[in-house]
Amino acid sequence: MTNIEQTTVVETEPDTCCEPLKPTLAPAPQCAKVSPEISETSQPVITSDKFCFYYGKAVGVKDISMDIYPKAVTAIIGPSGCGKSTFLRSINRMNDLIPHTHTGGVLAVNGQDIYDKRVNLVNLRQQVGMVFQRPNPFPKTIYDNIVYGPRLQGVRSRSKLDAIVEQCLRDSALWDEVKDELKKSALALSGGQQQRLCIARALATKPEVLLMDEPCSALDPVATSRIEELIHKLKVDYTIVIVTHNMQQAARVSDRTSFFCLGELIEYGLTKDVFTNPTNRQTEDYITGRFG
Amino acid sequence: MQLRHLGDKTFTFASGMSVLLMVAALVLILGPMLSRGAGALVFDGTVEYRKMQYDMHGRGQRKPLETQLKNAAKARAEVYRLMDNFAVMVDTSKVQKQAKSIFRQFKIQLSNQVKNGTLAPEQAASLKFAGKELRNKLRRAYKTSNAQEAHEKLDYVLNYADNRQLADSVAGQFFTLARQYKNVVSAAGLKHRETYAKSFREVQEIIKELLGPQPGEPIPDLAQFQYGSTRWGRAKILRDRLLWAETWVAQGPDQPLKKTRTPREDQFAGTELAKLFPIMEQNLEKMLLPQRTFYWQYFIDDSTPGHFFGGVGPEIIGTVLLTLLAMAIAVPLGVTAAGYLVECTGDGTFIRIIRTCINTLAGVPSIVFGLFGLAFFVLYLQPKLGVGSGSTILAGALTLTVLVLPVLIRASEEAIRAVPLTYKEASLGLGAGKFRTFVKVTLPAATPGILTGIILSMSRAAGETAPILFTATVALGPVPKSIFQPTRTLSYGSYDIAVGDRIAAMVPHQQYGMVMTLIALVLVLNLTAIIIRRKLESKLRGH
Repeated sequence: MTNIEQTTVVETEPDTCCEPLKPTLAPAPQCAKVSPEISETSQPVITSDKFCFYYGKAVGVKDISMDIYPKAVTAIIGPSGCGKSTFLRSINRMNDLIPHTHTGGVLAVNGQDIYDKRVNLVNLRQQVGMVFQRPNPFPKTIYDNIVYGPRLQGVRSRSKLDAIVEQCLRDSALWDEVKDELKKSALALSGGQQQRLCIARALATKPEVLLMDEPCSALDPVATSRIEELIHKLKVDYTIVIVTHNMQQAARVSDRTSFFCLGELIEYGLTKDVFTNPTNRQTEDYITGRFG
Repeated sequence: MQLRHLGDKTFTFASGMSVLLMVAALVLILGPMLSRGAGALVFDGTVEYRKMQYDMHGRGQRKPLETQLKNAAKARAEVYRLMDNFAVMVDTSKVQKQAKSIFRQFKIQLSNQVKNGTLAPEQAASLKFAGKELRNKLRRAYKTSNAQEAHEKLDYVLNYADNRQLADSVAGQFFTLARQYKNVVSAAGLKHRETYAKSFREVQEIIKELLGPQPGEPIPDLAQFQYGSTRWGRAKILRDRLLWAETWVAQGPDQPLKKTRTPREDQFAGTELAKLFPIMEQNLEKMLLPQRTFYWQYFIDDSTPGHFFGGVGPEIIGTVLLTLLAMAIAVPLGVTAAGYLVECTGDGTFIRIIRTCINTLAGVPSIVFGLFGLAFFVLYLQPKLGVGSGSTILAGALTLTVLVLPVLIRASEEAIRAVPLTYKEASLGLGAGKFRTFVKVTLPAATPGILTGIILSMSRAAGETAPILFTATVALGPVPKSIFQPTRTLSYGSYDIAVGDRIAAMVPHQQYGMVMTLIALVLVLNLTAIIIRRKLESKLRGH
């Protein structure tokens, strides 16, 4: 079923490179479960109900109401300054770093309002991992980068940490490249490798949700395609929300797409619908390149 | 277009020149310091130096040293002979005393002989009378400044020289003295006794400084007077002063006095002492036997009081102790404060005031900190803690801490601020708290920058004199055994020598040696920090 879904996307986007899809062509048992059609009926992981975010008096996002479903990739697209990143960063409260901000409405992860005062930020951020626009590994060794999260969770055993490192690097398809130099500084890696390391680092805390803020915008096409491949592999186990400027990328990797404009959610639906048959005029203009 | 080219070229030229100027200034300032300071380590040491090293530290070999001393003594013998002879003419108090003691011994000898029965009492009485007569005549001859009269008295004494009874006894020494003095008087006369006296005293002093105490003289208590010139360089200066007398001649009313140099030989023209000067000029090398010496123990030796001999071992220990202790207190405080200023505060008015205060403190003259340290740490805090209100290393280190804290905070703040926000985001995104993010991510990334601040403040702490002047230092004293004792430091040591009126001229090498050691020490400390920083940087960068 998944296979059909994926191929449909490709068919609608003839320019798209087919390569990233290859791994998913192999039918996996979980794939059937997480297919978008079925997950429609499953419980959403993230629920946003009239969520608003303000920078002082300026509006970041306004009245966002959308459900994000588990084990699928949800893409957020839109012109610059439309609030994509703001919304994404609100999901694990990274915007708290900015002074004088406030929110409205409800943004819930697993049914828990994350802007509730009682929310444990540490738990939230371990539950909702994040990959940033620019690769930002710590200036430490590859090994130390990955065990940073687990150590915070209190994992001390060397063998456990070793196992986590290997698992996360394998999951992020970096293991074969760096297995012999885990003690090397992460900053010695190439940009694409660094970004995959950041993904591995985010995976190490065993999050449910992985937020990706334009993860490929600082990378070259080859590295980009490897990350996209990786996203495909990861959605089997994780709920992924990705902000991207590249519409082809959204079409390639996502199951659902939402279109933001001027801080508002314009359209949200299955990727194939949004790209082939947008209901909104603005969306159509943006996708066809007439605007934005 | 033309104008822009001109502007570019002017800029290149001006910046290049300023860099050149800096380099030139560095060479001009450090060059002489280092070359003079090297004189403390490498110099031509005289035989006196080797004797001193052997006596004080047991360095060197006994046999060759003894041979050298013997050779030197041989070369010096003529000098001492000339000096002794002339001394009689200028100042006869010594020979007068000698005459007195001879007569006393003579009386004892006579009474012994009477007791033994070898001499009749009447004969003894007449001999005693003759001895007394000889003594009185001799003393009168010594006292008079009339050469004719002196000759008459001396001749009178020498008339008795044929008397076997007198000549064979202790009284025979009277005749030796009389003959010596007769030689002196007939050689130069006694007219110029007063004019010679002053210049001769100078000669005596210079010779004593050059060659040390005369053999047979009692050995002085102070080590600095026990030896002659230990350094050939200093010996040459003294020789110059011996050969040329400096006098200030009035040019006329309202005119400044003018320094003139006249050969001392001329002052003593016609006397036997005039022979001394060519001997000193030609044979000084034989008397002192200079040898190229490398005194590496300069860095570990204690110095005898007054820095006349020895090295700067205690000063180095004190400086390192003070600096490291100050840094050990200042670095944690400064980094924490910087972390607080960056991470835990916004940009409110209060924080701005605090920041201005820190910047102002960084520019406060160091003597102000010194007085603060004296008033607060030494006089107020220490008595409360039962340490007593004297200088201690701890008080000095605390004062230095206060001095370097602003600089350290500024540098650390900049370094922490320069850590990319993305590192912080990544850490927070993984669920780390603020404190953990600071300790585990921000601080390691900022360490190279913080180290730069540490280097700057460490150099400052090591070189400062004013803050430790009243709080931690003594000019002389033992190596401290705890941080509750005062210490000697290189910076204060060179200051102390410079303000000591006579010492600076006598031991210039000590002063420059201390400054050179200080520069070297700061360089070594900095180099260590720089190497650590480079290692960290390359580790962070991954190369």
